Amino acid sequence: MARMKFLCDAERCIECNGCVTACKNEHEVPWGVNRRRVVTLDDGVPGEKSISVACMHCTDAPCAAVCPVDCFYTTSDGIVLHNKDLCIGCGYCFYACPFGAPQYPQASAFGVRGKMDKCTFCAGGPEADGSAEEEKKYGRNRIAEGKLPLCAEMCATKALVAGDGDVVADIYRKRVLKRGGRPQTWGWETAYKA
Amino acid sequence: MRSRWLVGFVMAGVVALAGCSKSADVTLYEPGVYKGPVDPLVEKQRSPQQQEALLARFNQVQTDR
Repeated sequence: MARMKFLCDAERCIECNGCVTACKNEHEVPWGVNRRRVVTLDDGVPGEKSISVACMHCTDAPCAAVCPVDCFYTTSDGIVLHNKDLCIGCGYCFYACPFGAPQYPQASAFGVRGKMDKCTFCAGGPEADGSAEEEKKYGRNRIAEGKLPLCAEMCATKALVAGDGDVVADIYRKRVLKRGGRPQTWGWETAYKA
Repeated sequence: MRSRWLVGFVMAGVVALAGCSKSADVTLYEPGVYKGPVDPLVEKQRSPQQQEALLARFNQVQTDR
């Protein structure tokens, strides 16, 4: 069984924000909510690196672990999804998530927080696949249509890859071998940089 | 007159006790157990045909140029 994963190759990402735009357009994501965003390290400095970040569909998802109403569920191939009818918008998952993936649209006046919204790996929610209700709450269900997340499919430089983790790892391994080494975008030199 | 009082008393009792009934819609949460409706996609993703379709899509769209 495949395990669906995202991978962003920092050596290829050119910070075009095409993935962010594709996601917002495909799922009609409301203003103020970003299911995906591009983060740039050392912005403006020669050698800057960018990565596209969204829900990473963790194997042992901390958001699911802290949810007081257990609105999260995981598909057999590792896609972490949630039920907006059960969500109470408490924000625990936002504190637990190391990637800042959970988002909360403004529900009404005075900044009242709405139900949590996050990347679904383009797999919708618990409603019937492709239904209008599902599309309204979670966006389009491309996985049910036999397609993969649009952010990755739209990526012009193929920096963002989404699919079976084994296949994604093979692609990245080949790239690293071709380049002759792993970039130091993350790791010891970044973590302990002065 | 007495029967009217009796009927009225019974009706008031029924109305008062109506709030004591137990709703069947209450969900008791248990740690780590999802109790919402089952997503039809979960079953679909288990099928080999769906997995093959997604792999074929990956090879068609996302492999290196």
